[in-house]
Amino acid sequence: MTDLPSPTTPPSPSSPAPLPPPTAAGPLPPSAPPVPLTGMIAVNQASKFFGSVVAVSDVSFAINGGVTALLGPNGAGKSTLFRMMCGLTPPSRGAITVLGANPRTDRAVRGRIALVPQQDALFDHLSARQFVTIAAESHGMPGAAAVAEHALEQVELTDTGDKRVGEFSKGMRQRVKVATALVNDPEVLILDEPLTGLDPVQRRRMIALFHRLGEDGRCVLVSSHVLDEVARLGSRVLVIAQGRLIAQGDYHDLRNLMDDRPHRIRLGVSDTRRFATALVDRGLVMALSLGERHVVIDTLDIDAVGRQLAPLAVELGVRLTEVNPLDDDLESVFRYLVEGR
Amino acid sequence: MNVAAPEGRPRSVSPVRVVSLAYRAVLRELATRGRIIALTCLALLGTIAGFAFGSSEDAVLDDGIRLISGLGLAGVVPVVALVFGGASIGDLRDDKTLVYLWLRPMDRWPIVVGAALAALTLAAPITMIPLVAAAALTGVGGGLVGATALAAAVGLVCYVGLFTLLGTWLKRYIVWGLAYILIWEGFVAQAGIGVARFAIRRYTRSILIELTDAPGFDADFGPTVSIVVPLVAAVAALGFASWRLGAQDID
Repeated sequence: MTDLPSPTTPPSPSSPAPLPPPTAAGPLPPSAPPVPLTGMIAVNQASKFFGSVVAVSDVSFAINGGVTALLGPNGAGKSTLFRMMCGLTPPSRGAITVLGANPRTDRAVRGRIALVPQQDALFDHLSARQFVTIAAESHGMPGAAAVAEHALEQVELTDTGDKRVGEFSKGMRQRVKVATALVNDPEVLILDEPLTGLDPVQRRRMIALFHRLGEDGRCVLVSSHVLDEVARLGSRVLVIAQGRLIAQGDYHDLRNLMDDRPHRIRLGVSDTRRFATALVDRGLVMALSLGERHVVIDTLDIDAVGRQLAPLAVELGVRLTEVNPLDDDLESVFRYLVEGR
Repeated sequence: MNVAAPEGRPRSVSPVRVVSLAYRAVLRELATRGRIIALTCLALLGTIAGFAFGSSEDAVLDDGIRLISGLGLAGVVPVVALVFGGASIGDLRDDKTLVYLWLRPMDRWPIVVGAALAALTLAAPITMIPLVAAAALTGVGGGLVGATALAAAVGLVCYVGLFTLLGTWLKRYIVWGLAYILIWEGFVAQAGIGVARFAIRRYTRSILIELTDAPGFDADFGPTVSIVVPLVAAVAALGFASWRLGAQDID
């Protein structure tokens, strides 16, 4: 696991060496016994196996009030981790506590948690108002109808609340799920890809809602596989890939890490040899490979390359037909963090 | 933003309240038009058979019992109970809506009871009315109508309990349920009284025989045992389903 570096201490691209798991007091020496983490959500060396498949492997972190983003590609183990946090499945190893209790066995703590599951399933035969009211009743909320109305207001579904959920669009269904998560005034909100299917306006409003919930002191944990969403969700980020927590820290450090790592770009040019030679002469590339009509370059200074490509092509009299970043996505960041390439 | 409930923090949810919630939620999910039409058509086959049987001049009580027991109590009742009982929890688990009842500060057993009651609410009219009508249409008398009503009710409660457990426990509850109905009850349980103790249809058949005093049959069990054992089995099945619901992984 890597604590995301500060801008002044970038990791070596070749070896993002794993550090010991984080603790409340910072990294421990290897011989020290692990100190259980504490927090509104505390995950201590949790693993989950499904037969021979390792879904989550030895994950530890603790989070408190505010918005935290859990970032990871599809299949990274985010949903399994969320299911464990809600007690829907027990960890195969390790321990997870929410508000100091085990959500799998502690009935009371389940009333203080809210989950927005990733799956689209809802009681389609009910209206949104009925569905959210049942959610409020199932939490034992007094005045369930008023609570449901209030929750529907938060997601701007008051006007369409009497429509059957089965007739809703994907984005509206997401908002119904968020409304059901608000009915019990939860201290911990676990939101699994809650922005999926929302239009840009609703996405912005939902993110603002999450921030307000976090500012209230609630622990809001939001998963996403979209980097731009995470940028707007909050400054604290947990990065998970292949079931392992590979980084945690501030979002801006993650962004810097993305900017600091080597970038690979495919360039389509009419004269590959001359163009490649010029790029090397100007010190813009770390490595390159030549094809018949394209050059693939590795560079640490993507801004300089971006600025100089067009003038260079004009200067050399070659035609530039393609500029295609091959690794400007989240997967490449994960690859970089996990494998150092 | 204040998301706090207008009237305060959540309280614990009473079991009666949970039964009511689960009942309402599951009832709406189970009551699909396709299911109701298909199962009503199946049950009406018994009514048609009863009418056809009653139209013949040589209809006697023993044949009427064979018809009700063989077609109604061994076919219609368990199949309808399987579809509704199995789906009551099974469908919620399969379509991943179970989380909306599971992740709540409440006991598990009222969820199961509410779901089973919802299944029973739908299965009862679909099976009982056509079967009682079939018994009446046979025209053989001898208390067959009352015996059919009681046997069907007892069988329905037991099958719904059993298949609610099956739906909670197994993903392919329909396959396992049909295997139980066709292979175990339809074939293995005919082997003798030892095996018959584990077949619901032998109890419902005994109710029919005991309450009608049909001359051509011997009941496997007395009337009290025939009624009490299936009901106890239903309660045990729902208890096990409640434990299972609390212990299993939820998607």
